[in-house]
Amino acid sequence: MARMEARPKPVLREDWCKGCGRCVEVCARSCIAPGEQVNPGSGLVPISLRLDDCNGCGLCVDACPEPYALVAAGLAGRLAAARPPAPWAPPPEVPAERVPVPERRPLVLKGTHASAVGALLAGCRHFFGYPITPSTEGAELMAKLLPALGGTFLQAASEVATVNHMYGCGGAGRPSMTFTSSPGFSLMLEGISYMIGAEVPGVFVDVMRAGPGLGNIGPEQSDLKLACRGLGHGNTHAPVLAPATPQEMLDFTALAFELAFRYRTPVVVLADGHLGQMTGKVSLPRELARPGLPSWAVPGDAAHRGNLVCSLLLEEAQQERHNLALLEKYARVTAAEQRAELFRCDDAELVLVACNSPARTAKGAVQALRAEGIRAGLFRPQTVWPFPIRHLAPLLGRARAILVVEASDGQLEDELRLALSHAGRAPGEIRHVRRLGGVLPAEGEILAAARSLSAEVRQ
Amino acid sequence: MSALYERFERHDHGRGLKAQATHYCPGCGHGLAQQYLAQAIEKLGVQDRTVAVSPVGCAVLLYYYLDVGNTQAAHGRAPAVALGHKLAHPESVVVSYQGDGDLASIGLTEILHAAQLGIPLTVIFANNAVYGMTGGQLAPTTLLGQQTTTSPRGRGREMGQPLRMAELIAQLEAPVYVERVALYDAKQRVRAAKAIEKALRLQVEGAGFSFVEVLTECPTHLGLSPVEAERWVKERMTPVFPLGVKKDVAATPWGPWPEPSFDPEAVLAAVGAEPLADGAAPARVHALPPAGELGFKLAGAGGDGAQTAALLLVRAAIDAGLDATHIPSYGPESRGGTSYADVRIADGQVLSPDASAPDALVAFNAPSLARFGPAVRPGGLALYDGSVIAAAPALDPSVRLTGLPITGIARELGQPLVKNVVALGALQALTGIFPEERFLSTIREALRKRPALVEVNAEAFRRGARAAREA
Ligand code: SF4
Ligand code: SF4
Ligand code: SF4
Repeated sequence: MARMEARPKPVLREDWCKGCGRCVEVCARSCIAPGEQVNPGSGLVPISLRLDDCNGCGLCVDACPEPYALVAAGLAGRLAAARPPAPWAPPPEVPAERVPVPERRPLVLKGTHASAVGALLAGCRHFFGYPITPSTEGAELMAKLLPALGGTFLQAASEVATVNHMYGCGGAGRPSMTFTSSPGFSLMLEGISYMIGAEVPGVFVDVMRAGPGLGNIGPEQSDLKLACRGLGHGNTHAPVLAPATPQEMLDFTALAFELAFRYRTPVVVLADGHLGQMTGKVSLPRELARPGLPSWAVPGDAAHRGNLVCSLLLEEAQQERHNLALLEKYARVTAAEQRAELFRCDDAELVLVACNSPARTAKGAVQALRAEGIRAGLFRPQTVWPFPIRHLAPLLGRARAILVVEASDGQLEDELRLALSHAGRAPGEIRHVRRLGGVLPAEGEILAAARSLSAEVRQ
Repeated sequence: MSALYERFERHDHGRGLKAQATHYCPGCGHGLAQQYLAQAIEKLGVQDRTVAVSPVGCAVLLYYYLDVGNTQAAHGRAPAVALGHKLAHPESVVVSYQGDGDLASIGLTEILHAAQLGIPLTVIFANNAVYGMTGGQLAPTTLLGQQTTTSPRGRGREMGQPLRMAELIAQLEAPVYVERVALYDAKQRVRAAKAIEKALRLQVEGAGFSFVEVLTECPTHLGLSPVEAERWVKERMTPVFPLGVKKDVAATPWGPWPEPSFDPEAVLAAVGAEPLADGAAPARVHALPPAGELGFKLAGAGGDGAQTAALLLVRAAIDAGLDATHIPSYGPESRGGTSYADVRIADGQVLSPDASAPDALVAFNAPSLARFGPAVRPGGLALYDGSVIAAAPALDPSVRLTGLPITGIARELGQPLVKNVVALGALQALTGIFPEERFLSTIREALRKRPALVEVNAEAFRRGARAAREA
């Protein structure tokens, strides 16, 4: 931009000149000199300008780091007249559509594949991920199927890159997802905190494996606490769904996309290594989704140009208001999205509490206990956050004891106890069957614990 | 229309002078680089299509100024976020603006992979050799000998040597344009503005990934006046970070980009959904015990086909209108080790998918029979491959222990791999779980894409069944 042709002389807007002096040197006509007077508005010392010899070369304007300190005459007039614009009004949302489809023959799918199919049916066309056992088969199926649907599969450089691709894609208003497993999920937490802060949707399917550290690839419910209590730094919560069958892997993944956009939030689908590998019958939903475009999105078009996806709020009061709004959202989710399956709970004196794969073994155990005349039932949280206390509370009058069955160190029991405590409920005895390290609770050990607990509370 | 807001409403709510002033220190090079970016956006007429990704660092508030779609990224992750935007809407023009700590330290992985991916993106890299926002610490581009708050006696080689990002990016295959520019005099500023415009134009044209490293001044943390800082960049920085075009190549433009399809037929076809047979629900033809549930264990070495047989069993059950599950488990050896499958079939819903006490065991080798034989439920079935297991262990007398020459039959068919289907035929004959035709049609369907194999598999099934009936 060597603007050597004559053009209007520059205008100094003194209030906005920071007195840096970068314009001084460039003027061959010595029109610009360091100033001496402090500007009362800015508290800085603007330069002084004597334009008698000025040829309008514009070099000083190009040298000024401040966009509105040293400017062309026309712009100066516009800037002086600029008034605060009307508050930015984003365009209306383009709502997602639901397209009915005819009934199909049930598929026979393993859990990870069912989840991938659920994502495709829910309208997800963007997948980002980093291979990690035992989640990778889901990613591989997406890599295979997405091209046929004009979708995008990107193997990211890491889990850190993955979550940030999702932040960008979700910020642009598009549904996206990843498959990961515990160590990878840990790496994504920073980005999930940003997504929650900036209110960006995205779906994380975490096929949990044993920890800590590298642990092993056996099934463990190792990330319940992370997903429910530790989604990165700050005031962070997001819906956490816990499927127990390949069918639910499909249904809950599809549901996760719906929740992600309804609440502008990441959603975590927690599966375990066992469920990921489990093959079963999967019926397809009777509706498919065609995603819309949210009004808040930043897709790079004229209508949404004023939008900003951001978790930075420099003013403390503003950041506090934002947090209060997030809390209000968490309260809405808690009120509307508690889900649970109750199996033979109506008259249960002994309630088994379990989710994911351990819930299936526990279900078998309930059946066996009933055959022995023990009035047992299974309470299976399908959402772990929010914990479905509303569905559990009515059982507590009759139930004399709870047996928590989990493949973790008590992470589900902690959620249960916290929910009971917040609800002001103090149930009878709570016992547990816990296995760790890639070992799932076996039916035998559940039965033994249930029998002795039942005998104890009957006395 | 200007790509800079005329009033910066996001800067302290546009109050007072801040409505038209940046938050940068006097003389800071960021102010220039981002004005050149705004001018390039205007010239190319892409303001409505542009998404700017703000970094973490002094330029974190870029979104105060640029009147385009804005996103703010986590430290170092701007290129990853930018890629997410670009892939979501390939017609958008996405710019990542980053400082040296952000791009060359914490975000090195993201920038290198985005660059080598090569998808059209524009990255403006402001290198001022120091951490600005956190207060003047050592940057990955700090010069040797340069004092910072965390290298108070000057950067020594034990603190690492400055990273030359433009050169690093330029030696990758995918980027189309890499240049390093500076802002220390009028000539350099003209070059800088041109480079930024070119980098953006290459994205608009779909050419590929472009990268402009701008040597910017941080007078505040250099402890110099802005004019001295200009000189410092010229005299001290440019010998280490030479200016100029590092890469400029013609490339096949990207695109056309795939258009996501939501056509229901296409989606259903992609996931392998098929119409209901004859438009009617499948008939429930099966012979389950009154308990309504059966557990199977199929066990052998990797390569015995236990998992495939298990999946066929599941598919046949589901085709028969039942519920069924399969869980594989493999031994520690990744190839040729043990391979076990649990299958459960239920009239209603399979409760627990685990078959640790199976109603029927199919054992392809001796260790499997020894391990799982004793677990078979009283009154159950233990079927084993008599071709490979010479002597079966004693089991509960109520268990039907049946050895058949499974491998032998498969060999006779000239296709040892079908031994798992021989076993299925035998299992069917011994239990009568489904009508034979149910299994055969499931097998035919599973092999739809390999019709040549249908007959040998069907024959294997029939021979297995016959051997079981004759046993
Ligand atoms: S426009 Fe050129 S001649 Fe006039 S003051 Fe600026 S630098 Fe000097
Ligand atoms: S370059 Fe701009 S801010 Fe700096 S002294 Fe000149 S007019 Fe003022
Ligand atoms: S600290 Fe340095 S880089 Fe940051 S705004 Fe000030 S001068 Fe610019």
